[in-house]
Formats: sequence, C-alpha cells, structure tokens
Amino acid sequence: MMLALEGVTKRFGGLTAVRRVTLEVPTGTLLGIIGPNGAGKTTLFNVVGGYYRPEEGRILFEGRDITGVPPHAVCRLGLTRTFQIVKPFGNLSVLDNVMIGSLTRLTRVRDARLDAERVIEMCGLAPYTAARAKALPIGLRKRLEVARALATRPRLLLLDEVMAGLNPAELGGIVELIRRIHAEGLTLMVIEHIMAAMMRLAQRIVVLHHGEKIAEGTPAQIASDRRVIDAYLGEEFVLAEA
Amino acid sequence: MRARLARHRGAVVFFGLAALAPLFVHDAFFLDSLILILLWGALSAAWNVASGYAGQVSLGHAAFFGIGAYSAALLSTRWQQSPWLGMLVGVIVSIAAGSVIGYLSNRLRGPYFALSTIAFSQVLLIVASRWRGFTAGSEGIPVPFRPGFSTLGLSHPAWVYLALSLALLYYLVQLYFERSRVGYQLAGVREDEDAAAALGIASRQLKVIAVMLSAALSSIGGTLWAQYVGFVDPFYVFSVDLSVRFALNTIIGGIGTAMGPYLGSIFITSLETYLRATFSGKTGYAGGYLVIYGCALILVVRFAPEGLTGIAARLRSRFMAIAR
Repeated sequence: MMLALEGVTKRFGGLTAVRRVTLEVPTGTLLGIIGPNGAGKTTLFNVVGGYYRPEEGRILFEGRDITGVPPHAVCRLGLTRTFQIVKPFGNLSVLDNVMIGSLTRLTRVRDARLDAERVIEMCGLAPYTAARAKALPIGLRKRLEVARALATRPRLLLLDEVMAGLNPAELGGIVELIRRIHAEGLTLMVIEHIMAAMMRLAQRIVVLHHGEKIAEGTPAQIASDRRVIDAYLGEEFVLAEA
Repeated sequence: MRARLARHRGAVVFFGLAALAPLFVHDAFFLDSLILILLWGALSAAWNVASGYAGQVSLGHAAFFGIGAYSAALLSTRWQQSPWLGMLVGVIVSIAAGSVIGYLSNRLRGPYFALSTIAFSQVLLIVASRWRGFTAGSEGIPVPFRPGFSTLGLSHPAWVYLALSLALLYYLVQLYFERSRVGYQLAGVREDEDAAAALGIASRQLKVIAVMLSAALSSIGGTLWAQYVGFVDPFYVFSVDLSVRFALNTIIGGIGTAMGPYLGSIFITSLETYLRATFSGKTGYAGGYLVIYGCALILVVRFAPEGLTGIAARLRSRFMAIAR
C-alpha cells in the first residue's frame, strides 16, 4: 500500500474541511479525487503533504506514519505534491526550476543539470529550457509544475488540478504526460474537475462532498452512483456519457 | 578554464589591481583608501550572504561587526592575548548570536525581521557603552600598536594583502552561494518558500545556517577593521549607520551578486573619502559631503535599482548588439 488515510479530520475553527476520510492508494494505481468546489480536495492534499496537521486520524505513507511530518521531509520520503495555483520560481529559468527539484536527490549541480534536462525533455518543455518561468503561458507553467515535482523522483505524486484552464490541445498533451508517467510505474493521486479526462485516466475515483467521502469505485461505478450524480455530476454528464 | 575566467573578468581585474597596487604605489593615503575599500567590500559581502542570497534583509549587522571588534580589543588590552584569538572568540560569539537572529528570521518576515536586527544591535550598543567596568563604556578602547603579524601591527602594504585575502575569500564564499546546491535551493526559497518546501528544501535550516555564517564573516571583518584603525568606539561599531553602510554598498553594487558588494564599496568608499577630504578644511561646509553622498544614493536607487552590476550587464548586452 502506497498511501493510507485513516479517519483524517481537518477543521478550521468551526468549519470541518475534511471529515473522517479513510482511503487507500495501492502501489501503482492512479486514484482520482473529484467533488464540487469547497469539498475539501485541496485541504486533503495539504494535510497529506504536511502543510496542515490533521486534528484526528493518521496518514501512512508506505506503512510509515507521516502525520505531522513537515512538507520538506514528506517530499524527501518520496511523496511530492503540486499546487493548484501554480508556484513557479518566477524569476528563474525553466532549467533552474527543474534543477532545484533534481537537487533534492542529487548533490552535484552538474548531475542535477543533466537530470533536469531529461525531465524537461520528457515533459515537452525542451524549447523553453532557458525561458523565465513567469514568462510562460499558463499551460506551460502547469507542465513546469509537474516537471519540477517529477524531478524530485517521487514514488507518489499528488497532482492538484493540473488540467484546469487549459485549451483542448494543451489538455491532450498533459493527459498524455500523466498517462506516460503512470505507465512508468509512478503512483498518482489526482484532483481534477475535467470528468472526461478523469474517466480515462483513473483506476479508482474517490468523491468528496462537504469534506466527507461519499463514494468510491471505478469510474463506471462513480458515473452511475446516484449520490454522486446528485452532489456533483448532474444528469447531463450521465446522459452525455451514455 | 578560459571561459571560467571570463565570467569573473570584473573580479580578476579588481583583485589583480589591488594585489599589484602596493608594488607600485607607496602613497599612504591611497593605500589606506584601498584597505578600507577591501574591508568594507568584504563586510558588505558578508552582509550579502544573509540578506542577498538567503533573502533575510538585516539592518543590524553592525552587531556582529562590533562583537568582532570588541572581542579582539578586549582580549588584547585586558588579557594581552593575540587579536587572532580575539577574532576566534568573536566568531564563536557571533555564531551564537547569529543563530538567535536566524531563528527570529523564521518567525518574523521582511520589515519585522529587519527591525528586530536593528533592536539587537542597539541592545549591544547600550551594553557596550554603559558597562564601564568591562568595556570602558562610551570612551571606547584604543588598540595599542605592537609590530608583528601575531599582534596585527602591520605596515600598509601588509594590510592591503591581508584585506585582499579576506575580500577574495568572501568573494569565493559568495560564489558558493551562487553556484552550489545550497545556492540553487536558496534561490528557490527566495522565490517561493511553500514551493521550495514541496520540493524537499528545509528552508528554515538553510536560512539559519546562512545567517550564522554571515554573522561569523562580519565578525572577522570587525576584528580586522578595529585592529587596523586602532580604536573601538561603541557608538560607531554598533551604529545603525554602519549596518546601513553594508546594505547600501551591496544594494548600490548589486544585491545577490558576488561582485556587487565590492563595486558598491569602490564607489561609496572612494566617494566618501574624496568628499570628506575636499570639504573637511572649509568651515561652514562640515558634513557637506553627506549631502552629495545622499544625492548619489538617490540617483542610483532611482535609475539603477538592480545596482552597478546590473548597469554593467545592460551595457555589455547593448555593446554586443551593436558589435553584431
């Protein structure tokens, strides 16, 4: 088991953003997380990544309790996350951005540069290697976010809405990229609103609503789940899929 | 190798000329200016490590300078110890103080951190100026001149080489902060701390280490300065003016660049020396140099906020464009 959440609860004052969520991410799978805005998806990522400490519950990464471990240490253990609102190192080049990720595992700058160039190539960012990160359009900045996270060589990668705001061409590219890194054996946990993409990528999907897990299953099971349709998908999606 | 040297052309020229100067010039006034340019440059480089590379802008680095100055002066006048031993004591005390300041940088950000560093240096100023029994209070401590390397009683040319060694060493330290793994990681921390953490960078530890190192380097500079000048005045060595000098040299030269502190020091130190010499004799113009000094600062900050190294880079690229 790559990751296991046991009854995780996160409150902000009177608001319970995540309530007793229990879920498992088996090694090698791609788990999708869906749910309406404010359902607690990003909060869940922040809890797993060590940015928030949960009030209740435990988080086990490869069987090891990482509840309350700070973010940088979580990453070093092999669990890297991206940010929904991308956080590139704006004044640095694409190469430097990815190198900083590589340097988490590699100690020599020269090795990191070669490694970063490979990752950049794999993510289709090679033409922009020398560009300043903040000069890139959003589609490429999302890619950079993924590239930088990949450079840390995680065993579990958390992607937070890397497809949001992209045009159809960009979308196709990033779906292809995610499919490829998953095929290479990386375990992924993916938050996404774009259901068509999610249905194709995910092996299992967890649905959050008001901070609670209301359903879990294969994409087909989720698409026909009455509660999920009421809370999130709506009739139209089901009809369109059928 | 040649490409590597070309990248450091400015540094090679500057340090090379400084090394050759004592062989050809024997004018004491000139050598004195050169020593001060090198010492202030090195001290600004020390400031740059914490404030430029680690992004923890301090306005209290005079504290570490003063600790270094006082450690050596007190050990040599009270216990007849070598100033080198005093330098070591200063470094240890400064690292301890730097760890406290560095820890503060994790709690306080931006202006609040800068304010707390000012407060810290002011506390030391009060202690040094009031604790008459130990530090001789506001009278200050004259450092006796005893010829010899172990007592740092050196000739002007020897001082040039000592100051030059320090300046060169600090230049290399800065290069480390630019090109090494730590340098890249700190660049990430400066840009976005949360993103840096997500990539496995322990930003807090890095910042504390950078501030501690910067404190130690400042302290060494303080010891050498006091031994060179021969007098430790609490109102000078712990002054905000002095902290601001480190900051301004670096900002005018180019913050976060290895050559910036030295360029800033060449500019400011020689301007100040020249203006002071020009105006000091004329009654009614006392302090007139401060006005010109201030105007020069405003001009640089207004028209070249990235500093002299930025102007140099801009001119170079324009020149290349024309040449092509």
